[in-house]
Amino acid sequence: MAEQQDAVDPEPILSVRDLRVTFGSFTAVDGSTFDLFPGETLAVVGESGSGKSVTSLSIMRLVELGTRGKIEDGEMLFRLPDGEVVDLAQLNESEMREIRGNQISMIFQEPLTSLNPVYTTGNQVAEAVMLHQQVDRDVATERALEMFRLVRIPDPEQRLAQFPHEMSGGMRQRVMIAMALSCDPTVLIADEPTTALDVTIQAQILGLMRDLRETTGAAVMIITHDMGVVAEVADRVIVMNQAKIVESGSVYDIFENPQEDYTRALLSAVPRLGSMTGLADPAPFPLVDSAPS
Amino acid sequence: MSSDSAGNLVEVRGLCKVFPTGGGNKVHAVEHVDLDIAPQETLAVVGESGCGKSTLAHLVMRLLEPTAGSIMLDGVDIGSLKRRELRQHRRKAQIIFQDPFASLDPRRPVGQAVAEPLLVHGVARGADADDIVAELFTLVGLTPSMMRQYPHQFSGGQRQRICIARALTLEPKLVVADEAVSALDVSIQAQVINLMMELQRDLGLSYLFISHDLAVVERVSHRVAVMYLGQIVEIGPRSAIFENPQHSYTKRLLDAVPIADPRQRRERPLISGEIPSPVWAPGTSPERVELVEVDTGHFAARED
Repeated sequence: MAEQQDAVDPEPILSVRDLRVTFGSFTAVDGSTFDLFPGETLAVVGESGSGKSVTSLSIMRLVELGTRGKIEDGEMLFRLPDGEVVDLAQLNESEMREIRGNQISMIFQEPLTSLNPVYTTGNQVAEAVMLHQQVDRDVATERALEMFRLVRIPDPEQRLAQFPHEMSGGMRQRVMIAMALSCDPTVLIADEPTTALDVTIQAQILGLMRDLRETTGAAVMIITHDMGVVAEVADRVIVMNQAKIVESGSVYDIFENPQEDYTRALLSAVPRLGSMTGLADPAPFPLVDSAPS
Repeated sequence: MSSDSAGNLVEVRGLCKVFPTGGGNKVHAVEHVDLDIAPQETLAVVGESGCGKSTLAHLVMRLLEPTAGSIMLDGVDIGSLKRRELRQHRRKAQIIFQDPFASLDPRRPVGQAVAEPLLVHGVARGADADDIVAELFTLVGLTPSMMRQYPHQFSGGQRQRICIARALTLEPKLVVADEAVSALDVSIQAQVINLMMELQRDLGLSYLFISHDLAVVERVSHRVAVMYLGQIVEIGPRSAIFENPQHSYTKRLLDAVPIADPRQRRERPLISGEIPSPVWAPGTSPERVELVEVDTGHFAARED
């Protein structure tokens, strides 16, 4: 952790301890323990079914909604702005609603399915502000405009009046980020935020997320399968495999000195631009033998 | 564009595909595309959503009829083939799609899916077909006993191996891979790509490899074509495209790829641009780009 930034607050904003989440007889998250610090970007990386998304849905307490998901065990200690610490695992639904969107917000992979097709994007962002901050529509619309500017949506005044289908995927994801940040959350959870986007748009959104961390100071937890994305944005990394955290450390530790076989196997499978420089013909991936199957 | 045009497996010339949309507007999905694929060569086509790369793949398979232009496959103009001839011809070119779950029938054992091309083309049946399928399963790294299982019993990577086995049943010369590894986890993706390379070496296959992932393309391809708004803006040997890109769009694409090394993290300028729409109003059409040879076999569109 030598490379961690000095500015990071020593007190975690979120402390997850021994989290265990099950779906019937299947254990999706098995004894996860980690901290999230203010102002940092923590990447949770793993392959399909590793439990990374279930981890984020558990923090939001969305894992139990409409599924057989159950938080069986563990604590998720969250520090409120006034310093009080609550255990998210113990809150009831109405207490959770105070936190969701206000203190902890989330953006998802597919911005089109996260937006309501029959309302304008400005209307939807304003509604989120009205819901959480008890302000009137004019104030909320003004706030929405401010957020559109923050996430660098061109022509923000016109864009407020547009419907989701009138926007590109990258623009929709900006709207989602604007909505997620509209109530000044202290934690932003981004679940595969750029996976559905083209690579040039992905670069723009990742750049935006890096900048927003500076301007808002929110802690960001990014869930991704893409080691390239991790290397671009993360300060610290948690590697998950089959419901367990197999390794965690600074982004430099994970990429340059991975300790676990699984992490090494995962890194060996990552396609790296420039790795073929000087070679005339295609070449297979030099896979580490213990590659997961 | 190769000087040795006689030896090419695929020769595409002046290929266009225009889709009508509402109000007389048209989507120019593929515009004036020329390309060649040599035997045992992998030509990758890269570009972003809507650039026309999948339409190009479907045209080469003649799953779509072109608006203009010709496609020669193994010396035959596939546009001129009648239905019966086309069926015979299809044995030479097969396609693998992105989602291996959607391209397998959930109610049939996977062995039947792989055997079907043999039955349809009257190549083999019964025990003979089973033998061929068993051999193919072994070839793609599965075991023959898996033939009797159903698609849901397999992981995504195994399903894609089954789709590859099915594509190989008729011993094609060309395999079109349309984002064939995009839905797979990286470790599985790497294994499937390694398998595809092995098969190319052992069976002498050519690949038309459609992908949005430049890092994958760099590993698999001999040559690369970059598509932008339906047109090829740059095409050439892989090393030329990746190490000496000429067109601004190629550079922009390469620059946007995340680098899996935190030491190389770049402060990217926040380019705000997006790709313009490929939809053209009545009476308008895209301007045709002119390719100039910048080095042997390396062509790039002239830019103002």
